[in-house]
Amino acid sequence: MSFWGDFLTRLSAGTLTTLELLSITIPLSIILGILIGVLRVYGGRLGSALANFYVFIFRGFPLLVTMMIMFFGLADVGIMLEPFWAASAAIILCSSAYQSEYVKTAILSIGKGQSLAARALGMNRFQEIAYVIMPQALRTALPGITNEILYMILYSSLAYVIGVSEIFASAMTMNSIWVRPGEIFGTIALVYLSMTTTASTVFKEIENRLRIPGFEGAR
Amino acid sequence: MTAAGEVLRVENLRKRFGKEEVLKGISFKVDRGEVKVIMGPSGAGKSTLLKCIDLLIPPDEGSIWLEGVELTSPGINVNQYRRKIGFVFQEFNLFHHLTAIGNVMLGLTKVRKLPKNEARELAEEALLRVHIGRDLWDKYPAQLSGGQKQRVAIARALAMEPSIMLYDEPTSALDPQLTGEVLQVIKELAESGMTSVIVTHEVGFALEVADELMIMFDGEIIERGNPSEVIYSPESDSAKVFFKKVLRLGGVGR
Repeated sequence: MSFWGDFLTRLSAGTLTTLELLSITIPLSIILGILIGVLRVYGGRLGSALANFYVFIFRGFPLLVTMMIMFFGLADVGIMLEPFWAASAAIILCSSAYQSEYVKTAILSIGKGQSLAARALGMNRFQEIAYVIMPQALRTALPGITNEILYMILYSSLAYVIGVSEIFASAMTMNSIWVRPGEIFGTIALVYLSMTTTASTVFKEIENRLRIPGFEGAR
Repeated sequence: MTAAGEVLRVENLRKRFGKEEVLKGISFKVDRGEVKVIMGPSGAGKSTLLKCIDLLIPPDEGSIWLEGVELTSPGINVNQYRRKIGFVFQEFNLFHHLTAIGNVMLGLTKVRKLPKNEARELAEEALLRVHIGRDLWDKYPAQLSGGQKQRVAIARALAMEPSIMLYDEPTSALDPQLTGEVLQVIKELAESGMTSVIVTHEVGFALEVADELMIMFDGEIIERGNPSEVIYSPESDSAKVFFKKVLRLGGVGR
């Protein structure tokens, strides 16, 4: 088989795995990040303490270490996750901690008047958060969330170390067979670049569609 | 509830922020269709009083009764009663992410749980009552003038069909030329029988709309009564000084 034929086969399989990994981790880390962000602001003493602890842990561990713990560490105590799921869990835990930071900051940037007006209408706390605060806070948080998604695309390559056959793993295999690192890593760099470019274009478009005239986020 | 009679009763309301006692035992009642105007220097506790009535600030002591129900009694679902009190803020507080009509509809669909088409009809009605024409319904708050924003905010409160409207310095954040359109709307509502408590610095407006004028000073109501009597011949020294300043600035002297 030719170099490029072999590369194409391995790379497309790797890309598919990376995309699968991202299609699970991106939505779940956003959802979890929003929940934790909300809990940090509105969770009361206990809720915010728990949420802050979560962030303290998963923002404080390197993703690589969390990944090792999810795969090898949990195996030690009898919980065997497949590499793909261990990697997914680690990425979700780490990224949602970061996402929650953007969400929390955005919520805190919404003026107190918005909350007063919601309550004056007779809204309960949940309605106030769901219909008044979050629609504004999420718009404010969106650029940060997008940024974190770009990181996730890049850091998904760490899944290689626990044996997930994603893009980076396919490149390492290729290189061990063909030893042509310039072409191999140059090519996957371009693959990652095209993925981040696509993601940032898509999220820019979402940002534009959600844009409200005159609303620049913080009051 | 009969058409006449008491809508709101405030008894011995007290609030303290740290060391400072902001409300020192306020009592008054408002009858159906009555318009009460509260004036006084800034820092007198007027805004705190209104926010305490709507329980946006929890009072420390005293009781608040709305149409015979004590809002300050423990265990009551405040949200259920708050919607019956229309609150208009000094800084409008329109929801930035919603259009004018969206602002008015939100309470109707989410709090009163009305179906969308019914909510829309009520919202249109409320907007027309405050002279916000069709061309402005789909504008976002940032695209409206201050006077338009405040009128949308009034419509938002009005659409909930409240028993009473509370206005917290509704024109203080407006340019003088926009003040008139807002005061006109408040006056029209008052004349149509809307029970209201209005905190304002507009002397001329107070003279026109108030059934009773109350002067607050340092957390207390120091004077109350017929508006022109209170304004032109106040009894207490504090009120005399206050009106001397206000009248000179406003140019409404006699």
